[in-house]
Amino acid sequence: MFLRFVSESIRRAPRRKAMTVAAVAMGAAVATAMLGVMLDIGDRVNRELRGLGANLIVTPRAASMPVEIGGISYRPVSREDYIPEDQLPKIKSTFWHLNITGFAPSLKAEAVMGGRKVPVEGVWFLRRLRGPDGAPLEAGLRTVNSAWKVDGQWVDDRARSDAALEAMPGSALARKLGVKPGDTVQLFGQPFLVRGILSTGGEEEDRIFVRLEVLQRLLHRPGQVDAVQVGALTKPEDEFARKDPARMTRAEYDRWYCTPYISSIAHQIEEALPMAVAKPIWRVADNEGKLLGKIRGLMLLVALAALASAGLTVWSVMATTVLERRAEIAVMQATGASNWMVMALFSAEVALEGAVGGLIGSWVGLLLAEWVGRSVFQTSLEIPAMLGPVVVAAAVIASVAGAAQPLRQALALDPAIMLREGQA
Amino acid sequence: MMFWRFVLRAVELRKKRLLLAFSALAVAATLATALFSIYSDIERKMRVEFRGYGANIIIAPEGGGETVPLAAVAEAERQGAVAAAFVYTVGRLGGEPVVVAGIDFQRAGPLTDYWRVEGARVAGSGECLVGSTVAAHFRLRAGQQAQLQDAPCAIRGIVSSGGPEDAQVLLPFAAAEKLAGLHDAASVVEVRADGERVTAVKAALVKALPGTDVRLLHAVAETEANVVLKIRSTLFLLTALILGITTLCVTGNFSALVLERSKEIGILKAIGAADRKIAALFLSESLILGLASAVTGYGLGLLVAWCIGRQIFPGSAGTGVGVNYGVFLPVAGVTLAVAMVATLAAAARIWRIRTAVILRGE
Repeated sequence: MFLRFVSESIRRAPRRKAMTVAAVAMGAAVATAMLGVMLDIGDRVNRELRGLGANLIVTPRAASMPVEIGGISYRPVSREDYIPEDQLPKIKSTFWHLNITGFAPSLKAEAVMGGRKVPVEGVWFLRRLRGPDGAPLEAGLRTVNSAWKVDGQWVDDRARSDAALEAMPGSALARKLGVKPGDTVQLFGQPFLVRGILSTGGEEEDRIFVRLEVLQRLLHRPGQVDAVQVGALTKPEDEFARKDPARMTRAEYDRWYCTPYISSIAHQIEEALPMAVAKPIWRVADNEGKLLGKIRGLMLLVALAALASAGLTVWSVMATTVLERRAEIAVMQATGASNWMVMALFSAEVALEGAVGGLIGSWVGLLLAEWVGRSVFQTSLEIPAMLGPVVVAAAVIASVAGAAQPLRQALALDPAIMLREGQA
Repeated sequence: MMFWRFVLRAVELRKKRLLLAFSALAVAATLATALFSIYSDIERKMRVEFRGYGANIIIAPEGGGETVPLAAVAEAERQGAVAAAFVYTVGRLGGEPVVVAGIDFQRAGPLTDYWRVEGARVAGSGECLVGSTVAAHFRLRAGQQAQLQDAPCAIRGIVSSGGPEDAQVLLPFAAAEKLAGLHDAASVVEVRADGERVTAVKAALVKALPGTDVRLLHAVAETEANVVLKIRSTLFLLTALILGITTLCVTGNFSALVLERSKEIGILKAIGAADRKIAALFLSESLILGLASAVTGYGLGLLVAWCIGRQIFPGSAGTGVGVNYGVFLPVAGVTLAVAMVATLAAAARIWRIRTAVILRGE
């Protein structure tokens, strides 16, 4: 009987039905699009913020206090303090390894060029290696510092080679020495080919970068690394994150460990590399956290505002529908239908409209969210699969709720009065 | 006059029905106002957040020189930027070498917001701050005396930043300058210019300070520009989307208002009313509704924008938070335009049909 009721109702006023469904669909589309964008924008912006550089620095635990100005050391460096290079892939075996977007080991030394002391850094530029689980991964300077510019070319060190004498001076240094890409410079008595010149704006511009394994060979420090810069996607610090892990309860510790706070990622790196200590670089980490927190908060509130209006739209459309059909309700009452029956039939029809509108709307909304993601971030947004069904369910609930009150009011009236007055 | 009496009476009689159309349009106006307010202000707010990163321009020595003239600070400030001089030298503490940094604590305050400090963030004459690595190495605490050779000082705080400060003793600039044997010069000058002006400021400094190397920190400047652009674009697209959809909804609502009264239009035509007069009647009704919604929506929208602004960006100047009063005209304009067009379109559809057909009830 319900089917007959609904199909009759559709047959009698198809345009009105279509408009109701369309209104619900529009509300659902707004809700889905907003939620879809809102849920993923935090991640997208987090990735963009990695352009700021490393937010963690890993150094040997036993290392004594450095005495260093502008990369030049004023005290001999102890050879016993180092991080073994072969342990580095373990950085990608921590609980949050997927959040670690890159790491860059380095070995520091000094050379004399053009009559003055110049800091030399042995690094991985963009090394390909196998992670602890055998999966291929990339690491090196370029995975941590995506904003650095090169005049010329990067050193291609995807494959290890300690005989490749290539160098990349910073642009200030290159200017002082008068070198261009393609020139040769003398370092430790050997000729190094300048592949490209680095422009960063920071203190790197006064240094010269060479391959890590080459510097290790020249300094007789095989397999040793001084420091590792790490870039990670983190969750902004809140009150909970600032607690001292040593004083947390078991449950709190688990929660802290399983949240990508910068402090817990640092802790996990120290677990993977027991000979090292990992510290957040607050200049980067602090600001990332604050900015992300604000952006997420803003999106949430805007989404709530939009959801409120979507809900209002659906509610009001359903209320109108019932208002317009009061004569029908009166007739049903007059011919003996119980109040419960009328409520059930109308609610069911309204729920169906809500469901159909919700389905169409959520599908359109997902497309719109995808479009926003592509236009702004050039990638697909990661939208949880549950979003569609949740919006449909919400549309149904909002529809039924919107119709409920007017239905009750209409049923309370004397049918004779309603029929006599005709349309409301 | 008769015309307006007609319109007002109609509005009064159909209050309940019109309430629905009114609320639909008011909601659209509220959203439009709130979203436009936020959108127009978001760039400014986000650039303020990026200030916490510190310097985005570095003035370093050029050529064979080791120092930068202190005049560079004044020059940068003349460009409207925040600038501070830093001097670095090697001192001796407890018989060991240690890096001593001279900082103009007043000026450097805004550039070093990210420092985590136990104790005071500023050191006066005869005082100093020490980095956490230094404190751990020499087993120093705040309140103790640091026996720095030629410049003993009272430790006011311990700095922890993850950067070079951790391994430095931080003295007031004048004291460190003396230790370094410099006069009216700095090792480096750090500058923070507003994100949108950073290239202009850099160019001005290059011209004003020949003999120095003025460097733009690419990582900061680019990331800031990038993130600001992406957030603005997202907000813009979402706003356009939401408004497009709500416009459709409002159009439907207003058309329905007219279509419901097709019988009335039929009668009016039958008794001889001109098409234009009928249109004017309905348009006036829509005008009243539209104005009422625009005003309500504007007020509510500003309130929403203010609440969101206060929640997310506290501490920004008073009522300027996310609220853009200038939004009224465009919002009102668009609101009214949508209402009018919808009404007119619906009315046009009706009066094209023959009167008899309408009155018969089709």
